[in-house]
Amino acid sequence: MNAFRAVFDDAGVRGWLHAVAIDRPDATIELDSDAVVPMASVYKLPLLTAFCRLVDDGVLDPRERLTLDPASRTAGPTGVSLLADPVTMSLRDLAVSMMTVSDNAAADALLNVVGLQRLAALLESFGLQRTWVRRGTADNLRDLQRRTGLDNADDALALLADNDRTTPDGVYEAANASASSTRDMTLLLRQLWTGALLSDAQTAFVKATMHRQLFQHRLASGFPHDTIGVAGKTGTFGSLRHEVGVVTMPGGDAYAIAIFTLTARADFRQPRADATIGAAAQLAVNRLRRR
Amino acid sequence: MLQLSPQVSGIMLTERHLQIFVALAEEQHFGDAARVVGITQPPLSQGLRRLEALIGAKLFERGSGGVELTAAGAALLPFARRALGSIDEFRQAAVARDGEGPEIRLGLAPEVPPAAGAAIAAACGTALPGSRVTVVSGPTSSLVSQVSAGRLTLAVVLHPAVLDGLEAGPVRLLPTWALVPGDGDGESALSDLGGLPIAVRPRAEAPAARDLFLDTLALHRPDGGTVVVTDDRAALAMAAAGQAILVTADPLLAAPGVGRRRLTGDPLPTRLRLVWSRTRTPFARPADVMGQLTEALS
Repeated sequence: MNAFRAVFDDAGVRGWLHAVAIDRPDATIELDSDAVVPMASVYKLPLLTAFCRLVDDGVLDPRERLTLDPASRTAGPTGVSLLADPVTMSLRDLAVSMMTVSDNAAADALLNVVGLQRLAALLESFGLQRTWVRRGTADNLRDLQRRTGLDNADDALALLADNDRTTPDGVYEAANASASSTRDMTLLLRQLWTGALLSDAQTAFVKATMHRQLFQHRLASGFPHDTIGVAGKTGTFGSLRHEVGVVTMPGGDAYAIAIFTLTARADFRQPRADATIGAAAQLAVNRLRRR
Repeated sequence: MLQLSPQVSGIMLTERHLQIFVALAEEQHFGDAARVVGITQPPLSQGLRRLEALIGAKLFERGSGGVELTAAGAALLPFARRALGSIDEFRQAAVARDGEGPEIRLGLAPEVPPAAGAAIAAACGTALPGSRVTVVSGPTSSLVSQVSAGRLTLAVVLHPAVLDGLEAGPVRLLPTWALVPGDGDGESALSDLGGLPIAVRPRAEAPAARDLFLDTLALHRPDGGTVVVTDDRAALAMAAAGQAILVTADPLLAAPGVGRRRLTGDPLPTRLRLVWSRTRTPFARPADVMGQLTEALS
């Protein structure tokens, strides 16, 4: 796997990768794919899967409405997190906002409905042995503030983005965060895509929602052709830049890919690192197609 | 002497038990304490349970966010610290008696000014009396893999760099000067430096640090470009020949016909950092020693 390591080295990132052909589980590409890495907002994919399973089981009503109040909902750069006034949405619409624009407020509201313990039990039942969701985004920001000793989440995130300062210990430790391995993530994606986990209706909902992923600068940047389908979920926290998803070629062959990266640089905006996720994904798909 | 409860009389008190106790008291968090001790969480928890069984008292209360010392823990903590200090002294005395001494293999990136490299090598010898210090220099990417592979004990590398799970000390910023063709020292804004290219070393040596340098350069000085050189020696020669500008953290590098300019606001500092492997360090308290060594860098 030296080619993949070279791609990541050249971009100044540490990379973890697992890719697998959806219909040929023995065709894989791996780079440190069992390492457990903090997964940032990628946790929203297992959360979505658990939510859809609870809908299938009749435990949750996807049309149930929740009101998110600006005083108590989680901050973030997108979606309902940005808005000034109370917002009332159905659970399934919260799921769409959580997945397409990585809406933190929507995700924490949904996590609250699903519950950490129920989520953990479902993930275990899906066969994910290296994946655990320890907390939502709000608690994650509180943990960061504790580690940086800063009262304000924006100040704490600014510290992580400073190339001149040292990242506080433990911020990127898997033991302190919601975490997963890239192999676990492709296992989840492959089971979702083959319909092994959810009803036809919920499977279709997951696929459609993931195809509406707004951020195109990572996984999708490696496939600059509209006949190639890219469904994904990003994760970003400090120097962590991830995306996991499924790439479907015009002939219908599909590939589940999970790429986690930790950039050496601290800057908020790192287009090279983002594009490297696309480049590595493209390399992986090309190799899997030839087999 | 400890009063041993009968069911645990087979357990011996070890240095590791004390390290776990002190680390947990300081970090108040299992994950963080495990990292400080250099082990994973399960053996840390097991070590604590054994220690608590040994002394027949709970040392910590588990709270929501972490752990807090019990009254017994608070009373015993100073003794644990003193015991660890004595073990350190014992180890140092043993090393000092050993004529061969342990070997410290130090790597220096080419961007480390010679005097700073010398200072840190000297500080290594002081930190571990009786040790033999050997020094190699090489590009950041190569040094990082040599530390990972255990061929180097520690290295001073450019920051930011991909560290592959190595431990790293604080980031040290060294101010830089522009060495420009022509005589005369002084201060210049980066944007006012003439139209000559800036000499830079090959990108593959340290991609992230080099990209940060180039992106910052482009922000302050969109024109003028860069030229790739193998080392400072070549860059200095090109400056003397009127062909390039050299940016260096070395306060002593000089040549006839080359002027030295302090850059206003220090936009292109050389960021240096010590890296070492958690599992292969001869220092009993690596974080403390690395902090002292980092001080020697400036």
